[in-house]
Amino acid sequence: MKPQVAFFDFTSCEGCQLNKLNFENDLLDILKHVDLVEFREAMDDKADHYDIAFIEGSITSPSCVERIHDIRRRSDILVALGSCAVNGGVNAMKNLHPIDDVRETVYGDDKYLFATLPAMAVSSVVKVDYEVRGCPMTQQDFLKLLIALVLGKQPPKYGSPVCVECKLKENECLYNRGMVCLGPITRGGCDAVCPSFGQFCTGCRGILDNPNIDGMLEVMTSHGISLDEAKKRMLLYNSNEVQL
Amino acid sequence: MKRLQDVEHHETEDLYYPTMCKVTGARQITDMEKWYELEMPEGTSLGHSPGQFVEVSAFGIGEAPISISSSPSKNGKFELCIRQVGTLTNVLKNYETGDMMGIRGPFGQGYPMDNLFGKDILIVAGGIGLVPLRSLINYVLDNRKNFGRLIILYGAKTPSELLFTEELKVWEERDDVELHVTVDQPDETWKGNTGVITTLIPSLDLKLNTTIAAITGPPVMYKFVVMSLKSKQLPDDQIYLSLERRMKCGVGKCGHCQINGVYCCQDGPVFNYADIKPLEEAL
Amino acid sequence: MECFSLLRSDVPALIDHLGDFGEVIAPHGKGDVSYSFEVVRDSSDVVLDYNRTLLPLKKMFLPPVEKLIGFSLKNESYEQVDVAIAPRVFFGVHSYEMQSILRLDHSMLSGSAESNYFKRRQSSRFVGISFEPDEFHFSESVGVVIEEMEGFDLFLNEVDDDFQLYVLTDNGQEMLNGFDKINLTEPEIVEGRNFKKKIRYHYNRLPRVFQYAYHSDVWADVASRCVGCGACTLTCPTCFCFDVQDHVEVTAEDGMRQRSWDSCMLSTFAEVAGGENFREKTINRTRHRLFRKFKYITDEEGLPWCVGCGRCTAFCPAGISMPDIVNELIQEDEKAQYHRTVRV
Repeated sequence: MKPQVAFFDFTSCEGCQLNKLNFENDLLDILKHVDLVEFREAMDDKADHYDIAFIEGSITSPSCVERIHDIRRRSDILVALGSCAVNGGVNAMKNLHPIDDVRETVYGDDKYLFATLPAMAVSSVVKVDYEVRGCPMTQQDFLKLLIALVLGKQPPKYGSPVCVECKLKENECLYNRGMVCLGPITRGGCDAVCPSFGQFCTGCRGILDNPNIDGMLEVMTSHGISLDEAKKRMLLYNSNEVQL
Repeated sequence: MKRLQDVEHHETEDLYYPTMCKVTGARQITDMEKWYELEMPEGTSLGHSPGQFVEVSAFGIGEAPISISSSPSKNGKFELCIRQVGTLTNVLKNYETGDMMGIRGPFGQGYPMDNLFGKDILIVAGGIGLVPLRSLINYVLDNRKNFGRLIILYGAKTPSELLFTEELKVWEERDDVELHVTVDQPDETWKGNTGVITTLIPSLDLKLNTTIAAITGPPVMYKFVVMSLKSKQLPDDQIYLSLERRMKCGVGKCGHCQINGVYCCQDGPVFNYADIKPLEEAL
Repeated sequence: MECFSLLRSDVPALIDHLGDFGEVIAPHGKGDVSYSFEVVRDSSDVVLDYNRTLLPLKKMFLPPVEKLIGFSLKNESYEQVDVAIAPRVFFGVHSYEMQSILRLDHSMLSGSAESNYFKRRQSSRFVGISFEPDEFHFSESVGVVIEEMEGFDLFLNEVDDDFQLYVLTDNGQEMLNGFDKINLTEPEIVEGRNFKKKIRYHYNRLPRVFQYAYHSDVWADVASRCVGCGACTLTCPTCFCFDVQDHVEVTAEDGMRQRSWDSCMLSTFAEVAGGENFREKTINRTRHRLFRKFKYITDEEGLPWCVGCGRCTAFCPAGISMPDIVNELIQEDEKAQYHRTVRV
């Protein structure tokens, strides 16, 4: 029997889910491997049990916490999709400020009507089996994970920086073009898509394990941006991961 | 330095093509380890020596270096015993009799058997280290009169993690094998030795000039076993160790298994202790 | 050895002429300030004055990503990949680059000689060109001068904005047959092309320096600046480490086994399945890189495994300089020697 698969969204722009709908040629091949039982963006069906639950978005309220626990209970495998789900992503920038200030800024006088929590990675609340990183996650990366799960193998883990793929494509280094790029300490697997098109890496796939943060700040500031700006860039997607 | 003009086309090799071998036997022997017997195509022989390894591959997953567990004296077929710790090995656990497994090798340096003939052989196996050493043990047993004493020290974490328990029983009963087994964490049924493997060494009565030690175990074990053997005055060059590294290509190219200047997959995995003692990264 | 004069304006005609002997590959501009070796489509696009290409010429013999086998999951079978032997002419190659290919020959063909590499390397011809050293080149310090012609069939030495063309092999001679824009001339020695970056010792003294360098404090300093991106090794012309991975098509039926360049500077490089990492710290890895260049292979082959192209420095985001590290080790070694002497 094909695995029963569902998609759920939490606090996010839902861009990752939209990205999946754009599979076009590959969509039919994917549906050969899995049964889609719940996907708000594309269908109305509901189910009680999921072989694989894909979660998009970060956990930012008490009701999110309740709902993710419920999904976890009904799922064999739970996969975090995209940077919001994997580490809190851009949502976690709010965690750098006192939560009451954040509520006031967003909701003004009505702030007491809206319960809010610091933006959390799904894995800070329930057990996450696998993750697909990126903002948005790439189709290729998602497919690799899906095929791995269908074949019963471990999905790929990316322990190398974006620079590796960038170098293998023989891109001109953005540092040599006077830009500041987070490629050296950002987890690869994206095929260096941004630098390949002349856009510096913003770190959306998360920071590598055991990064040399001081060294990286030194690299960034020595290429012409202020320490404050360097820290902001590093925190953009990684407020929950990097202590500065 | 090797130059292009020194090499003839026929001397080059297609290094990365596996040979498809049929699984002729498969058995889960502990919670973590599965044993396999394999057959080379068309009656060919693997042609390995004790201590060598092969690269096992499953398409779509990849390759991993696996020690050969059977003696070369076993004709026709060879055996592997694989612990399920990585992506590949977790897929291999589903392989059963009749399945095809991709094999490259054998690779590396095994035990220099010429130097071992006529000697007392001291086996020191920690955990899964028994897998490659079983090749040497069975080789010694199949050629018993060519060797002196055969002393086997074997340590596992718990009794349930002991490998090849039936063979252990046979070795135990043989008069010409001195088997000492110990576990770190005994259970209520365990009646044997308790403690780490080095606790078995002080009471050994070794003939220093004729004993060759062969050690294989987890990385942390080597220093302590070597220290114990050194405190018994066993000379460096009579100690052999089989080291674990990330031997990805098996042919001395990919660089992953390098220990300082030596390639574990080419110069090892079996090393003479005297040779690797100066290497900072070895132990 | 014959020497001809060749006008700069006639070089495109020479490149076109070389096309008779195979696909011509030469340096082209890439991006804003970079260069890369590409197949020549239009000979006037070829850049004659360049500092260094992003990736070394190695990429033509050991491709960054290479299919090793194609497999079918359904049939548990695989098909072999046929690497064709195709004649190629590499034009506009610097001396250090040629030296790196000769070292790569040793790495890929000694021990088990790799057929893929051998086939790509067969039928290749090389046309060298002189260069103006920039702030990163230090090839002279590792024994490779600008005019080093070993390995080349032809060599273009820039003299007063035009070229002197040296014919070095029978292949080179053959490649000039029918090309009439050259005139026999007397070879000239070109002065004034000086290296700005230098290692203070002759390279044959370096193995001794490295013999005592393992526990140097220099490594910790380098590690504190290194961000672990792997650029140094991925752009190095003599590095040859690779990783192998299987990729499955979305049909989950077919796939391929691929190898791609890897780097010993990456934190997971020496990690095994059980989780043990044999070079876990950056300090271990920066040291390993330098020892690979100046000690391990050098002890056996008598040559530094660095050709002084300067890529590792030019492309390091942290500006870590290989020759500077070596000079620091030399300085440290001198101090240690001084102290040993004084104490006695």
